[in-house]
Amino acid sequence: MSDVIIIGGGPAGSAMGAFLSKAGISNLILEKAIHPRPHVGESMVTSSTRVFKELDFLPVLEREGFVHKYGASWHAPNGKEFAIEFGEFPQPGVDQDYTYHVDRSRLDLLLLKHAESLGSKVMQGVTVKQVLFDGDWAKGVRIAVDGVEVDLPCKVVVDASGRNTLLGNQLKVKVKDPIFNQYAVHAWFEGVERGKEEHTADFIHIYFLPIERGWVWQIPINDTITSVGVVADKNVLKDYRQDIEAYFNMGIQSNPDLETAMCNAVRINDYKAEGDYSYTMSSFVGNAYVCIGDAARFVDPIFSSGVSVALYSAKYASEQIRLAFETGDFSEAALKPYEEKLRSGVNVWYEFIRLYYKLLPLFTHFIQSKAHRIEVLRLLQGEVYNRGEVPVLDAMRKYIESVENADKHLLKDKLTSIPID
Amino acid sequence: MDRKTILMDYIKNEIMRNRNARLAEDEDLLGTGILDSLAILQMVAFIDEQFGIEVPDQDVVYENFNSVQALTEYLKQYPG
Repeated sequence: MSDVIIIGGGPAGSAMGAFLSKAGISNLILEKAIHPRPHVGESMVTSSTRVFKELDFLPVLEREGFVHKYGASWHAPNGKEFAIEFGEFPQPGVDQDYTYHVDRSRLDLLLLKHAESLGSKVMQGVTVKQVLFDGDWAKGVRIAVDGVEVDLPCKVVVDASGRNTLLGNQLKVKVKDPIFNQYAVHAWFEGVERGKEEHTADFIHIYFLPIERGWVWQIPINDTITSVGVVADKNVLKDYRQDIEAYFNMGIQSNPDLETAMCNAVRINDYKAEGDYSYTMSSFVGNAYVCIGDAARFVDPIFSSGVSVALYSAKYASEQIRLAFETGDFSEAALKPYEEKLRSGVNVWYEFIRLYYKLLPLFTHFIQSKAHRIEVLRLLQGEVYNRGEVPVLDAMRKYIESVENADKHLLKDKLTSIPID
Repeated sequence: MDRKTILMDYIKNEIMRNRNARLAEDEDLLGTGILDSLAILQMVAFIDEQFGIEVPDQDVVYENFNSVQALTEYLKQYPG
């Protein structure tokens, strides 16, 4: 028997396994798929480097030759481009001015193997049917292997099931976001013209679309392959009668820089779609269980936050679990500090995303203004945890409110319908 | 340099990105799209930085920003 059972072998689950193994807590990772398997979410923020370093995983990322990501570039619909470089804002505990773009099938396999090498037990091709409870205490999980169901007991259950949100569904604590209901269609391409300038070519490129909550990502996977994804409100998909290829092409044709980038592009795998956009569990912890990564909360990926949330949630939750093993107290109250830490961090991402969509030119302006640039970089590079006030978000909010309140402000028609209170 | 010239230079160099651009002081900056939404924000920031004038949000309106002439007129209420 393992002390901790981790449901899911994505970045959250594997990082959790690695942290627990390093702390000497036995753990078993149950993965439904058999890695390698494809996954969306191919770009990262630099704060992830800190966790990778703690887990001794940076040498693996370097050895495997993942594309270095030195910055991000935005393209307005009128053809204006502006970029940021991570080198401008050094982060404590982060010794490199780049993060990575990753083929997730490889990254996730490598992380899982890394956890295994540190002592985690790993079973792949195993479906967890449900978390077992005794009253409101998690006691283990029921798995299915080759059609046979088996119950596995443990002291703590970690739900790292990603967007499947296994526990959230089972306990009915999943809450859909009232604002963001987008839909992404993505695929890999060869022959994408990555940028006008060589030094930004391997940045992530974000193209604004002239439709509400619409944007496109361009992420280099290796020298030849580029991931491209179109995001827009789910209602837009209805206009295309659920035809995801037509939806994708609409996105490509909505930004002139993007059209240029894609003019010689050849698709090399199937279009994939991601619906069921932003959500949160009303609680991330209970008696003897925690939810981490996408199984806890998912926000719009415009700022490449997903893997970072997975890694930091694993870090913070594993610290709480380690403490629980020391004290013998696995109660909801004992695990709650993890939730508070993660929730406040992800709320910073969420607030940033909301204000960003509320008035797009404001983000563009802030990132180019001397007064705010560094603080925006701080956010874009994933420094969202353990922060009390975030003055730059207050400044964005204040600006938006003043535009709302001024009768004939020139930017008034640029305000979107997103509520910010 | 007077404010008008400074504003003309700024629009040509930083917004139109062409120092030889033709720009008349009564040219319609908004109708022609010379000033898009981002450029408006940049102009407000520039006026603050250059002249020490914080344009109140209720004054960021068509009447004050539709030409360099209009903007210069508007700014006259703030002593140089």
